[in-house]
Amino acid sequence: MREKARLAMARKGLAALVLVTLVVALSLANPAHAEGRRLPVLTPGTLMWGGDQEGGGPYVYPADDDPRRVVGFEVELADELAHRLGLRAQFFQGQWDRMLDLLQARKCDIVLNGYEWMPARLERMEATIPYYVFGLQLLARDTGEVASWDDLRRPSAHGRRRVGVLAASAAEKYLEALSSDVDIVNYDGSTDAMREVETGKLDATLQDTPAATFYRSRFPALRAIGAPVGHGYYVIYARQGEKELVRRLNDALLGMILGGEIEKIDRAYGIWNDAQRELQDIARSGRFYDYPEVWNDRPATSDTRPQPAGDDGTSDRHVEVTARKHGLDVVRAYGGILLQSAGLTVVLSCLSFPLAVMAGLFIAMGRLYGPAWLKAPLTVYVEFLRGTPVMLQLYFIFFFLPEVGINVPAFWTAILGLSINYSAYESEIYRAGLSAVPKGQMEAALALGMSRPLALRRIIVPQAVRIVVPPVVNDFIALFKDTSVCSVVTLVELTKRFSVLSQSTQATTELMAMTAVLYLAMSYPLSLVSRRLELAAGRPVT
Amino acid sequence: MIEVRDLCKRFGAVDVLSELTLSVAQGTVAAVIGPSGGGKSTFLRCINGLESFERGEVRVGSDVLVWNGSPRERADRLRAIRRKVGFVFQQFNLFPHLDVIGNVSEAPLRVLGHARAAAEAEAVRLLDRVGLAEKKDAYPHELSGGQQQRVAIARALAMHPEVLLLDEPTSALDPVMAAEVMSVISELARAGQTMIVVTHQLGLVRAIADTVHVFAAGRRVEHGPTAAVFENPAHDTTRAFLRKLQAW
Repeated sequence: MREKARLAMARKGLAALVLVTLVVALSLANPAHAEGRRLPVLTPGTLMWGGDQEGGGPYVYPADDDPRRVVGFEVELADELAHRLGLRAQFFQGQWDRMLDLLQARKCDIVLNGYEWMPARLERMEATIPYYVFGLQLLARDTGEVASWDDLRRPSAHGRRRVGVLAASAAEKYLEALSSDVDIVNYDGSTDAMREVETGKLDATLQDTPAATFYRSRFPALRAIGAPVGHGYYVIYARQGEKELVRRLNDALLGMILGGEIEKIDRAYGIWNDAQRELQDIARSGRFYDYPEVWNDRPATSDTRPQPAGDDGTSDRHVEVTARKHGLDVVRAYGGILLQSAGLTVVLSCLSFPLAVMAGLFIAMGRLYGPAWLKAPLTVYVEFLRGTPVMLQLYFIFFFLPEVGINVPAFWTAILGLSINYSAYESEIYRAGLSAVPKGQMEAALALGMSRPLALRRIIVPQAVRIVVPPVVNDFIALFKDTSVCSVVTLVELTKRFSVLSQSTQATTELMAMTAVLYLAMSYPLSLVSRRLELAAGRPVT
Repeated sequence: MIEVRDLCKRFGAVDVLSELTLSVAQGTVAAVIGPSGGGKSTFLRCINGLESFERGEVRVGSDVLVWNGSPRERADRLRAIRRKVGFVFQQFNLFPHLDVIGNVSEAPLRVLGHARAAAEAEAVRLLDRVGLAEKKDAYPHELSGGQQQRVAIARALAMHPEVLLLDEPTSALDPVMAAEVMSVISELARAGQTMIVVTHQLGLVRAIADTVHVFAAGRRVEHGPTAAVFENPAHDTTRAFLRKLQAW
């Protein structure tokens, strides 16, 4: 009986083995898969494509039913492209304005995320033919306050109009021409800016047409102002030298454009429009900028430039395209604005740190010497703030509190968030410092008839301060660098400015050196002060 | 002057002090001696409220310290007692961030609200009394142990205490420095300062103590005039303790 059962199981196992072998053999025999293995991708058989879910729809965004899964027209495009290349598409998440660096760092094979075609980028990367022709749509509240581009240029009662854009995007560059009339505010995602327009923090936002179209229903209080302006192309970027991959992607894109698959996907997301006909023109003419070799088996026309659609003179402003700068040109061009951003870093640090130190001292004293009922909440305060990232805390203050009616401006959000976060750390340092003062000191003070508060103020705290000088100064230096998280609340401090500039200019090396020098110039003097205070702490001072 | 009655203190299940009674007349010196761990220091710390106790009371003049009532009442009583009772620690416990004159004048300035000029003049006078007037601008870490203890005595005297408690004031010092400190304490005794001193220095006890109280295992096993206890100890513990110390 038992013998028979074992035999049956063995037979089943054998059958399964044969089946698996067959499937594997068949899949290896599949020519598409065989070709896919030859492509120089990071993971064999996989097309790792980079994008930022934070950028939102209709590009790449978390699915409603399962946030771990991404959907979007670029997801479908990537799936179809990968299929045509005999690969499996795999999404790679990165911060949008870091995407091209991630590509360089070989974290993904391609970047496919609303990245526009720019000559400056071609020095470091390969680009495909476009998969979408986009414009820029101005959105404002449906109250009529800003009803035209002219309204935007006129200051409101509160000053210049504030326009939100995706950081390092074509919209930001477009608005730079108007920067003498409006304030440009940077966001990491399109919807953040749209929400800020709704809540009234911004007067308007300039968005790529797909985002503006796609989120129209999500933001009923917003209205499209005028026709789309500007004109640009979304392309796929690959690492320099990946010519074979780009050639294969171009072939696939060509097929999808001429075969109507692109149109089908775009229509699904409601972003198909007349401007997309230009894709077909490019495909049929066989030319897109400097890519005559792309599909040279097709007849080329004499026209080497793509014909922009809807050429009516006003909406056909080409999104500015500049050549890449090098060396001292970069220092000259961006030194000023980097220094200005470093100024913001200094202001943020120098305003929030004293607050953090003062709050931290009171928290530490409350926990050590305060009434019993105070100790538990203070412990929760410290543990909660130490245990969650400052970025989340800033996000909470900036993006959540407005939903319950508390509107804290970006600058004060940063001051508040940093000082609250650091107060938790400072309080722990002070707690250690206060505990390190020998017990006999408090006893001697009490024996002299001092009250506890007086003994703390005159005897214990002055000694604790001397003990904690080195770690506190150390934290101050750390804060200078931590201010970089304030970019989540749209403040462009030094690090964010570096990111944004390096994305748009590609002069990463020069900008990195300048940024590092600026940070050093801020922290090194503090190190010197710390060393002097440490020496002084060994020698008591009145 | 100072009267301790039926003082009881426990640490968990251990009786540290059991029904201790002791009184010191004004202008006299009481010495507390006995084997280590007998509760001498704890007793002294109970008198000015650095340690709590379960039962009994401490009376200094008209002020009474009992360990009950609301925290606020207790804090008031503690401060009242501490104004009258000075304390000198074995480890000095000078304030390291203040100079010598700052150490001595801090309490008169902040607790009694004296003017700085007056408080500092008084501090210099007291430092002169302990032989350290020239060190008034030094910091504690620049002084020897004996000098630090003399500053600590001056600091306690600056509050003009009715009673001065000294908790093994010479135990942390080498013999030369101990002698400096003992001569200062002897001078105080001659000047009529009421004191209770916990010490192992039998020479100091003989020189200044009017009464001797022998503690063992949290009880006072013997007490009386110094000469009587030393010449004719009644209790075995006292005899054994004195023999041991004198054998050195």
